[in-house]
Amino acid sequence: MSWANQQTQILCYYYLYTCKIFFKKNIKNMSASSSTSHHSANFSTSSAATSFIPDARNIVSIPNNDANGGALAQIEDLLESIVDAIEAGSELIIPYRSSRTEVDPEQRDARHSELVRFPGRNIQEAKRFEALFRIIELSHEALLSGNIITKRNIYYQDPDLFKSQAVVDALVDNLAFTLGVGRGDLNIVAAAKGLISGPVELIMRDGSVHNCGLSGDGGVLLPSLEAIDKIAFYCVRWVLVIEKEATFRTLAASQYAKESQAGHGLLITAKGFPDLATRRFLSLLHSIRPELLLFGLVDFDPHGIAILRTYKYGSQRLEHEVGATIPGMKWLGIKSSDIMPSSGLSRNISALRRSDSQSTQEYSSQESQAYSYDGSQSERPPKRLRIRRVQDPSDSVAALTQNDRKKAMDILKDICSSENMDGDVPEQMLELQRMLMLNIKAEIQAVDNYGDLTDWLDERLCQGR
Amino acid sequence: MAALAAPTWRMGTTSLFPRLFSSTQQTRFALPFFPGVTLTIPIGIQLGLPSIPSILEGIWEGILKAVPKKKTSHMKKRHRQMAGKALKDVTSLCKCPACGETKRMHHLCPHCVSSEQLLHSLQRRKAHPADIFSLAPTPNSILSASGSSSLLVHSTTESTFPLIQTIPNAHKLGCHHVCTAKGGLGNVAASVGFGGEIKIWNKSQNKNEWALDWEIPPSGDVWAVALSENEEYLACTTSDGRIQVWDLNAKQVIQTYETGARGGGSFAMSVDLSRDGKFTASGHESGAVYVFNNDAGRMVYSLSGLAKPVRAVAFSPGCKRLAAAGNAGIIALYDMQHGEHVGNLTTPNARPAWITSLDWSDTGDYILSGSLDGKVKVWDVTRGACVATHSETEGALWSVRWLPKNERALGPGMGKGEMFCAAGASRSLTFYREATGI
Repeated sequence: MSWANQQTQILCYYYLYTCKIFFKKNIKNMSASSSTSHHSANFSTSSAATSFIPDARNIVSIPNNDANGGALAQIEDLLESIVDAIEAGSELIIPYRSSRTEVDPEQRDARHSELVRFPGRNIQEAKRFEALFRIIELSHEALLSGNIITKRNIYYQDPDLFKSQAVVDALVDNLAFTLGVGRGDLNIVAAAKGLISGPVELIMRDGSVHNCGLSGDGGVLLPSLEAIDKIAFYCVRWVLVIEKEATFRTLAASQYAKESQAGHGLLITAKGFPDLATRRFLSLLHSIRPELLLFGLVDFDPHGIAILRTYKYGSQRLEHEVGATIPGMKWLGIKSSDIMPSSGLSRNISALRRSDSQSTQEYSSQESQAYSYDGSQSERPPKRLRIRRVQDPSDSVAALTQNDRKKAMDILKDICSSENMDGDVPEQMLELQRMLMLNIKAEIQAVDNYGDLTDWLDERLCQGR
Repeated sequence: MAALAAPTWRMGTTSLFPRLFSSTQQTRFALPFFPGVTLTIPIGIQLGLPSIPSILEGIWEGILKAVPKKKTSHMKKRHRQMAGKALKDVTSLCKCPACGETKRMHHLCPHCVSSEQLLHSLQRRKAHPADIFSLAPTPNSILSASGSSSLLVHSTTESTFPLIQTIPNAHKLGCHHVCTAKGGLGNVAASVGFGGEIKIWNKSQNKNEWALDWEIPPSGDVWAVALSENEEYLACTTSDGRIQVWDLNAKQVIQTYETGARGGGSFAMSVDLSRDGKFTASGHESGAVYVFNNDAGRMVYSLSGLAKPVRAVAFSPGCKRLAAAGNAGIIALYDMQHGEHVGNLTTPNARPAWITSLDWSDTGDYILSGSLDGKVKVWDVTRGACVATHSETEGALWSVRWLPKNERALGPGMGKGEMFCAAGASRSLTFYREATGI
């Protein structure tokens, strides 16, 4: 009974929607012309704004990506084809490919023709069609109006239909994959998860300014990339991406971004596995300021390396998203050499220290002198007077669980199958193998000095520079 | 005469005693304090008082005899005990062919083994592109496994240790263990990759090259492997604490030992088979060392002593002792006849590094150990002391192995000295040997 109801309901819905499309199609040309003029106006105002602001702010405008037009056109083509089908009285078809399924080269074409039909072969397909159509419609609306909707918002549009957030996430990503565009191009985003802290200002398209250096220990929630207009970099020289929010908050609270030995920098965390918004933001930073050094700080465990690899090479499921990888990110730690300093695994460190710049060498010698004598030393640096860590990092290691070992093996397989062996991929492989050999893992906290990571970070950032 | 008379008299004249006492007081006091007055006793006798001095004499004799003299002295006892049991002379001595000093036959020369005498003979620099995780010597070559996909075979019969074979794509994800039979012919080798697959390699006699015999597909997380001396059995461990023994001819599992509730055992990090094929030993993450009797198919000893992960276990060539070492940084020795902990090999170092590898010399006199701080040590088992330490290698050591002596000694320029090889994070193979006196 309900099945029949639903069918009729959906059909009615289409007819209503068809009218709407025709209406909108007519005005589309008009809106397109107006939007281009709007863009040029926007550009002129922004250039005028930058001329007013002194150079110290170091403002960089975000290039406005006009891929939206492509996505809009594709969606409208799709809707048009559905309208045609309705008019012809034939089966309604939405092409739909799942990015998660393995694609063999031979089956690629067969995969391409995977469809969601209406009337469906079964009730699942009918429901899927309705859900997918709802998303297409919402995306279309958002693209036309220029608004941005979140995946959570889509879910709340019709919780009964979608059943769970995971369904929406999968449908949205697969739709984007099918259309060959990014999720952001559909004007659908996930709610921000990333946090940013440091002496920069994000100037939004609506004119508001987010000062990331002001807020205390919390950092600022990373706004969606589409809403950012310009970024004032001041004299930021490095970006540190931290796996853990707790570490991020500690460093943000101590204003490490401003007080580091390595100069001003930015702290960013995505609280564990990175979301698309954070990755795209980092990718954008890298593209507009290539001289900015990007560092990744992750745990010494298989998940840490997986997170690092997600930042660098993207995730498997969202492979179709462009501009979401940061291959230039440097792996700052934690590595096996950091947790076993007394062992022979840390053979490169002394050599690196020797090749350090003169200033850091001076600093380090001065520092070690100050720490080696007792408190009566008068000429030691007034800042950073702390007890040198006496705890050996190898005390704070834990054994890998069987799941960890399995995960490490999976990453190793992944590395070997991708056959991308440049950059620090061999190092990732080596660290994973050492991890398995030693059967240990360690948190970022293993290298800190009673909760204070700044000494270690100073040393590593200066080395990496 | 008086001495014999005195007791009888005393018995009869007890009642007289108080009276006698007062009259002889002077003499009696004089006796202990002035030895010269003893002459007064014969005087007293001469004076015609025979009874009283004889009484005194009896008392005096009694005092002297108060200490019992029956006990055998310690010295006497030792003399009797040790009669005819003195240490025998050692006659099985010979001259060390290397240094010319006198040494015991069939034993390593202690002079040569001491640190100044061991020569760092050759290093194959950067033999592998990644960390070398394991070494396996055969009578005339040494196999090495690393984080890269290929296995390398270096000849040990020539003094330059040339590379004689590369086995490409042996393990795609890298190889963490490779082993050959200790004391065996060296025609079979087994290697385990990070993917969990075990490959059995055979050396064809005519071509003298290693070729893949068969492969055990990944089942669970297989870690360490060991081969029996006759090259017919293989023991492997898994991360959930199981130990499997394979019959290589029948290509099937003949024993599975569980060390915990199903799937809940502690990670077995190391394994060894005794040369007589009787025992299997496994070292675990929890610090436990288990010894299994292969004939009975059950655990015989559960050995404690190391509370930290055990990264290496090794049976002595005579199968009388088991050595185990790991994160504790000490080598524990166990007796295999009774399952007792018989000793530890330690240095008085405050914080010893994690030991990753152990190997007994062919005579069972010395143990070789390699640790994460890059130090390779030679231990004298009988003395219980470290007799040589080398730390020239700049990286952590993952594996150290003695090279078997028989065929190698025939090679030109190789000498007759003992040799061993160490490898690890430096990616190089480093060969050490006894000084040859050249």
